[in-house]
Amino acid sequence: MSPDRIEREIKIQAPIERVWEVLTEPVHVGTWFGTGEPAEIDLRPGGVMVLDHGVHGRYPTVIVDVDPPRSFSYRWASAYPDTLATEENSTLVEFSLEPFAEGTLLRVVESGFDSLVIPTERVGSAGYESHAEGWTGVVAKLGAHAEGADASPLLAPK
Amino acid sequence: MIAVEGVLSALADPTRRELLEHLSRQGRATATTLAAELPISRQAVVQHLAVLDGVGLVAARREGRERRFEVRTDPLTEVARWMESLAAQWDGRLQAIRRIAESKGDGAPIRPL
Repeated sequence: MSPDRIEREIKIQAPIERVWEVLTEPVHVGTWFGTGEPAEIDLRPGGVMVLDHGVHGRYPTVIVDVDPPRSFSYRWASAYPDTLATEENSTLVEFSLEPFAEGTLLRVVESGFDSLVIPTERVGSAGYESHAEGWTGVVAKLGAHAEGADASPLLAPK
Repeated sequence: MIAVEGVLSALADPTRRELLEHLSRQGRATATTLAAELPISRQAVVQHLAVLDGVGLVAARREGRERRFEVRTDPLTEVARWMESLAAQWDGRLQAIRRIAESKGDGAPIRPL
């Protein structure tokens, strides 16, 4: 799994249309992702879906794609409560549904952690060719260092 | 969470990422030797190192007149843990979706555990 994304899936013994309802209807969304109160959902691309996390705040996510009953995606600024999701402060959550035997395979991918935090100052790097890889690439690389031989000077105790 | 955000924020700058990689390859280095390898001034290197130091991604030791830096990986472990906790949250939500979808009818919602 790339460090820039989280991928999870589950097999559900219910028809795809039923899973779609649970995924997108206010009464259900409010249950599996909220306080139990129906969620506010304007189910269309560009529409806002408010995920209420109670004490953690409300997250006005922005719906990107609605293609019943196959795919549904939205951006959420999970690090910024009460803030409308934009490309800069948020990750992209994509659900995909597939018929599977007598049920449905539901998959969720959350991606874009690399661009979650936007540098506030780039003055120091003006004219400097930035690398395509984001922080997750560095984490992976340095993590590999950390897992390598303990002879690595990186791991020398203080 | 706050610690993770600080780490992410520090790593959001491409110059700092490049700096970290250079430092990681060298093991330990001073601002002067790093500046010699990067297209930025020693002053800029010092500033970037200060940001990295602030979130624990580098540690400095004084040797003579210069401070020698090395990469610390603990904050990266924190970031990895954070990603794992997010993945676990998704598992919980998917299970809640399954419980609702597999329950009969459209009746009262079932609260997630």
